[in-house]
Amino acid sequence: MQTLRQHLESASPAFESELTAQTRDVREFVELLQLCTLRKRAIEKGLLKASKKKLRVAAVGGANLHPLVDFIGHFAAVLGDGECEFWIGDYDNYNAEILDAESPLYEFKPDVVLLLPSERRCVYSGPIDSSRSVQEEAARRVAGDLIDLCARINEGSGAEVIVGNFRLPPYFDPGPMRNTSLISDYAFRRFVNSEIGFRLPSYAYICDIEFLSNRRGNLAGVDDRTWFESKQPFAAGLLVDVAREYAHILNQLTRAPKKVVVLDLDNTLWGGVIGDDGLEGIELGTTSPRGEAFRDFQKYLLELSKRGVLLAVCSKNDYDKAIEPFEKHPEMVLRLKDIVCFKANWEPKSDNIRLIAQELNLGVDSLVFVDDNPAEIEIVNQFVPEVSTIWAGDDPSEFAAKLKDSRFFESRSVTSEDILRVQQYKQESERQQLLSSFSDMGSYLKSLEMTGVITPFNKLDAPRIAQLIAKSNQFNLTTRRRTEAEVLDIVENERFSAFSMRLSDRFGDHGLIAVVVGDAVGEDFMIDTWLMSCRVLKRQVEEEILNEIVRLARERGCARVIGKYIPTAKNGMVRELYPKMGFMHSREEDGGTQIYVLHVTEYRWSETAIALRTETYATAGSHS
Amino acid sequence: MQRQEVIAKLQEVFDGAFLQKVTVTPELSARDVEEWDSLAHVSLIMAVEQAFGVRFRVGEVEATKNVGDLADLIVKRLPKG
Repeated sequence: MQTLRQHLESASPAFESELTAQTRDVREFVELLQLCTLRKRAIEKGLLKASKKKLRVAAVGGANLHPLVDFIGHFAAVLGDGECEFWIGDYDNYNAEILDAESPLYEFKPDVVLLLPSERRCVYSGPIDSSRSVQEEAARRVAGDLIDLCARINEGSGAEVIVGNFRLPPYFDPGPMRNTSLISDYAFRRFVNSEIGFRLPSYAYICDIEFLSNRRGNLAGVDDRTWFESKQPFAAGLLVDVAREYAHILNQLTRAPKKVVVLDLDNTLWGGVIGDDGLEGIELGTTSPRGEAFRDFQKYLLELSKRGVLLAVCSKNDYDKAIEPFEKHPEMVLRLKDIVCFKANWEPKSDNIRLIAQELNLGVDSLVFVDDNPAEIEIVNQFVPEVSTIWAGDDPSEFAAKLKDSRFFESRSVTSEDILRVQQYKQESERQQLLSSFSDMGSYLKSLEMTGVITPFNKLDAPRIAQLIAKSNQFNLTTRRRTEAEVLDIVENERFSAFSMRLSDRFGDHGLIAVVVGDAVGEDFMIDTWLMSCRVLKRQVEEEILNEIVRLARERGCARVIGKYIPTAKNGMVRELYPKMGFMHSREEDGGTQIYVLHVTEYRWSETAIALRTETYATAGSHS
Repeated sequence: MQRQEVIAKLQEVFDGAFLQKVTVTPELSARDVEEWDSLAHVSLIMAVEQAFGVRFRVGEVEATKNVGDLADLIVKRLPKG
């Protein structure tokens, strides 16, 4: 904190990174309060710029939401994408604020609503000698009322909702009945929490206060005095945890989880050095506690891989030696088939990591690098700063826990596409091999026997569309992020012509790989969004998509298609897309945004090797 | 810890809580500090409790009129020995 103060006084540019580092680690109230204050001072001083992008966040609940909301704002701004603009409801007035369509909550037009329901109302209030089913009914009603509130918020504002659940009481009372009957607040709240989780609608997210309080210790989370004096919902420490969690979920709305774990080998996946100790000498497996710890870490990695996280290897080793345990060691959990990209050589790890990203066609920032050697971590931090790193440490019994607490791999749900992903990346390498056996691109593409399906946006596809919107950085012309709720808005809105495309070939199914949102305004058909998965580059998908865009523009009676390229740090690969596809440059706007025009009558339809089926727009509604 | 030391340490807590520079004296009260409204007060007292490792009793803080009173209360609630 002292360093940070000095940075502020001397207006040092190191202030921001130090603030970020300390905000990442802060656990206690006093420190967080100081960080909030220092940040505000830095903004006043002009040392920090308040970001332009502002998320509109409304907070309502059954407690005093100060300073909780200030802390959420701090975490969201420092660790996430930008400033929040808050509207805060009155103390314990959330039912009225949500149910009254005319309330200032809706006037505020929030993007996201944070709801912290009153735990004092989450109790069983019926007769104590009632039957089990009566008690369960009461708990279901409490959960149902909350879900209804979420629904009303979403209907009234289109906003997504982050709803807090209920922590469990820390006291011994009522003893043996705590877990045998829902008349105990403990059992009742646990039941309600499960109900909320199981019935959660797609536009809502849970801030899992039950978990956070358990993690810190329920007794430590309670401060009844601050409740009586100023209606504080939690003790100081738990308040920090809950603020951090709300902000974390806010950030996750627009940020994709990481996709790849890049693993060191020696003393990370097994004990010892394979090159020196040999296959028999490395420590791995149930014969020793240390060997068992490494094996257990591998089991966790395999579990991650089953959830769709890709595993890659980056090791300073001779390749032949490095793969030996994967092929021959009886206690290895991970096998070569589980590794999508294997780099074992003597080049710097920073170079190898860039190579891995390239070969997998992924942004470097979707990689997480794990190594037991702090020097390697440092080199990667310095030369590939976009990569997140985890220093495994020197105790393998803690490796899995470090990854589990890193929060890099939290996805909302596992889609069937995630499960297929490991397979898809394997298929990609097979395609690469096929490509090298053909002399020209055209015959290669024909040999792939590609089929594509274009489908208008619909409710069924919305989760996958939202996921692709959140994830795509490189082939993304406008990088306009949309939440699932906003995708569903497009389905309803006549103004938009929006479609997605799926692609498969003889090696396998790529799934949903492209998203386009067209906005017909008079004579102009504006391409609001065009993004694609990088897995399908150079496969003539772009051509088929432009065919469809022009077809839609004609159908809408538009004379011109307007393409926009908004440059970001990552989308350089599509800078020239529009001119290459026959658009004329029209003008440049603020921030280097380029506007291109294509006259519909001058468009020359592209022939491709993709057998394409277009689902008609009239039947699109039948999906819902 | 004596009243004098408590006030010196309170200065640190105030520095962390307020944007403006506030010089902590026994006579200082919320009326003297523009930022010290009821919302800031909640954070301030929670921070004081944590910084000193003390627990106030319900209603106690409300009865203090200025920083001097608060310092006395902190001294009273500090663990003995």
